Amino acid sequence: MGAARLLAIKGVTLFGVLLVSLLLVIVVLGATGVSDRMMGSIVNEEVRELRQSLAITIRDPIELERVVLAEREQLVEFYGLDNPWYTRLPDMVWRILRLDLGSARTLKSFSGSTRVSDIVLERLPNTVILVTTALAISSVLGLYIGVKLATRVGTTLDRGVSYISAASYALPSWWVGIIFIMILSFQFHIFPFGGITSAPVPSGFLNRTFDIMWHATLPIITLTLASVGSWAYVVRTMVLNTAQEDFVTVARAKGLPENKIMNRHIIRVAAPPIVTNLVLGLTASFGGAILTETVFNWPGMGRLYYDAIFALDENVIVALTFIFTLLYVGARFILEVLYILLDPRVRY
Amino acid sequence: MEERTRNLFKELLSSGSGKVGIAFIIALIIISLGVIIIYPPDFGLKYWSNPVLWADNPRAAPPAWTNLFSSYNQAETVIFETNIPTERIPGVSITKVLYTFNLNHKADEPPSFISMTVGNIKYNNRPPVLIVNIERPDGNKIELYRLIVPGPLPNEVTPFARFSETPFRIQLSGNHEVVSAVSNFLKQEFDVSISNQDLLLSGVDIAVFGTPQDDGKFDVLMGVYKIQVDAFLYNEDDSIGSVKFVAGGSVHGFMGTDTLGRDLSIGLLFGFPVALFIGLVASSITTVIGTSLGIISGYIGGKTDTSIQRAADIFTNIPLLPILIFLSFIVGPNLFIIILILIIFSWPGLTILIRSMVLQIRSGQLVESSITLGASRLRIMLRHIFPQTAPFVFAQMIFFTPSAILAEAALSFLGLGDPSLPTWGQILEYGFRNGGIYVGYWWWILPPGILIVITAMTFVLIALGMEPIINPRLKRGH
Repeated sequence: MGAARLLAIKGVTLFGVLLVSLLLVIVVLGATGVSDRMMGSIVNEEVRELRQSLAITIRDPIELERVVLAEREQLVEFYGLDNPWYTRLPDMVWRILRLDLGSARTLKSFSGSTRVSDIVLERLPNTVILVTTALAISSVLGLYIGVKLATRVGTTLDRGVSYISAASYALPSWWVGIIFIMILSFQFHIFPFGGITSAPVPSGFLNRTFDIMWHATLPIITLTLASVGSWAYVVRTMVLNTAQEDFVTVARAKGLPENKIMNRHIIRVAAPPIVTNLVLGLTASFGGAILTETVFNWPGMGRLYYDAIFALDENVIVALTFIFTLLYVGARFILEVLYILLDPRVRY
Repeated sequence: MEERTRNLFKELLSSGSGKVGIAFIIALIIISLGVIIIYPPDFGLKYWSNPVLWADNPRAAPPAWTNLFSSYNQAETVIFETNIPTERIPGVSITKVLYTFNLNHKADEPPSFISMTVGNIKYNNRPPVLIVNIERPDGNKIELYRLIVPGPLPNEVTPFARFSETPFRIQLSGNHEVVSAVSNFLKQEFDVSISNQDLLLSGVDIAVFGTPQDDGKFDVLMGVYKIQVDAFLYNEDDSIGSVKFVAGGSVHGFMGTDTLGRDLSIGLLFGFPVALFIGLVASSITTVIGTSLGIISGYIGGKTDTSIQRAADIFTNIPLLPILIFLSFIVGPNLFIIILILIIFSWPGLTILIRSMVLQIRSGQLVESSITLGASRLRIMLRHIFPQTAPFVFAQMIFFTPSAILAEAALSFLGLGDPSLPTWGQILEYGFRNGGIYVGYWWWILPPGILIVITAMTFVLIALGMEPIINPRLKRGH
């Protein structure tokens, strides 16, 4: 199978994922009547505004009611509220796929816009800073520790780290974040309680950057801790599995130096499954970001999701569910490409 | 099959982590069974979320044992409750009924509040009167409060019953009558005048349980306070059901309280069976679905295989947490729906793994000879293929259990927990949302998290103990 064909299949599958999750969201919204409620509230809002502006010109209350009612019917028809929800489905899917996300009901962007895309675009970089930094740190650390452990299998160090990584699987990262805040912020005042910048925001680019870094430290440590343990363990297992292959024994029999065997023979071969696990780590990070951002009051997409739930802002919830899937699927596709580049066996 | 499964348990019990894990899970099960037996089934809505029941507990109080680590001795809640009077003095037209409580106050601070609750009063003609007196260790006596039971309504028939369904609770500390009584007392005994308003703001407790100093502050007066509730009954047949007097502390019980005064130890105990239920139900159903689909997919092959694998591909790629949040938000907080969603999105991982195992087993001699003997496909899948995957399947089930527990905890933490079943995640969420981490309510934030970790860890330890048999290659390295 050619690489292009393989990528095409993966691409189609991932697009299917996107479509399925989008459909799932919309069908659930429609079938539970939430969608009708959402549309209804938009219509009510518009009718209310209309009544206010018309009240200035039309004095007769009966005439006013008549005009407002006619307008209302037009609006209902315009939004398709007179038909069952599933007739609106194709339009809605198409609209969201074009990233036309509508406007939020109560939430606003920092600059005051109510368009969901504005709100999301403001928040997206904040989340990306957090998730990618944490992912980069934990993958580097995990690779380093994992390979180290694989060469020292069975030692106390190995067993100790294995247990710690198992333990980290049972540690909810958001709770660890809370503990950090209680100890490092509340007790010792080393780090801020949360947020992304101090108030007032320090002037000057350099000061601001440092301020953000200072605020990001705890969330990043939290996210890293949540994933580095399982990460190291996976790397260790993969390297160990490969190290027992015959070709490694052959390489060793040839008298190649140990570090050359590790780099050329073992890691090269163990890389693709490790990359697969990077993908799994990514899901955890995006999911984890929702919780971590909530704990640290970090104005990213995760915190936005949390706020949207409590503000009952359906449009934002739909948009964010879609964007989270989109981000995940996008990252997944990039990694599929990497996978093909890394493993020559996949290509031929 | 028996042999392999038995080996699995032997291996499990021979490893250190396996032993610890098994011990922990036995403890968890015993606690859960105890809770199920003792707690009422509608605990969440009727008890835990009912603020009336917790009114006499101090709010946001740390555990009582914190006193051991501090030179400053904080007050503990003292509750006196009785339905038998200390003394009954019959008279000509008035029967006097006395309730006496001796409160030995040893703390370096006054009680955080005092309250009285009376219940089930019955009278025939004149409404009874209750008077609350407090005699201090220095011999001074304060008449704090006078309760005249509400009179009969027009058309009401005797005997008149009062406070029989819900007892009547008087928060003495915040009561205006008590405030003026204490203010008068201070004026008379110590020649200190404090306006009622100031006294209400600073709390009457510091005055009732203290002596005024020259600097305008109060020193706590330690010793035995005699609290006397005198009830005057105007008929032979009049009766008083129960009298309760509470001197609220600022520390409470073994685990402390939350801002509603709820005893955290009670809520945390209830979390045990709920957590186990979530973990075990979600993981066992997921495992059954995942394994059956995996075996069918691998053994039958063809179109069935392709469609199951495509579906699995799609479901594994949907990010779980956002969808979980979205669905439980829309459908409403319900534990069973949360479990259902967890199952729907978790089976594919196992299906993909089992399928690859089945592909190997299928070409083995055992299966081939069974086919030759004319065994049906169902029989082969059940009797020959499944047993070979069983230890692995079991290990996967154990391994999935903590993820389900953690997922529910995370959802609860986001405020999407099922309010009829209080969980550790919900207790944590309530503490977090009330600013518990910024005010330092560690007794409220730490224990639920620790319990979540311990429960999840139990299953991780068992899974770890099973690993060598699941993945024999790892064992060779040792």
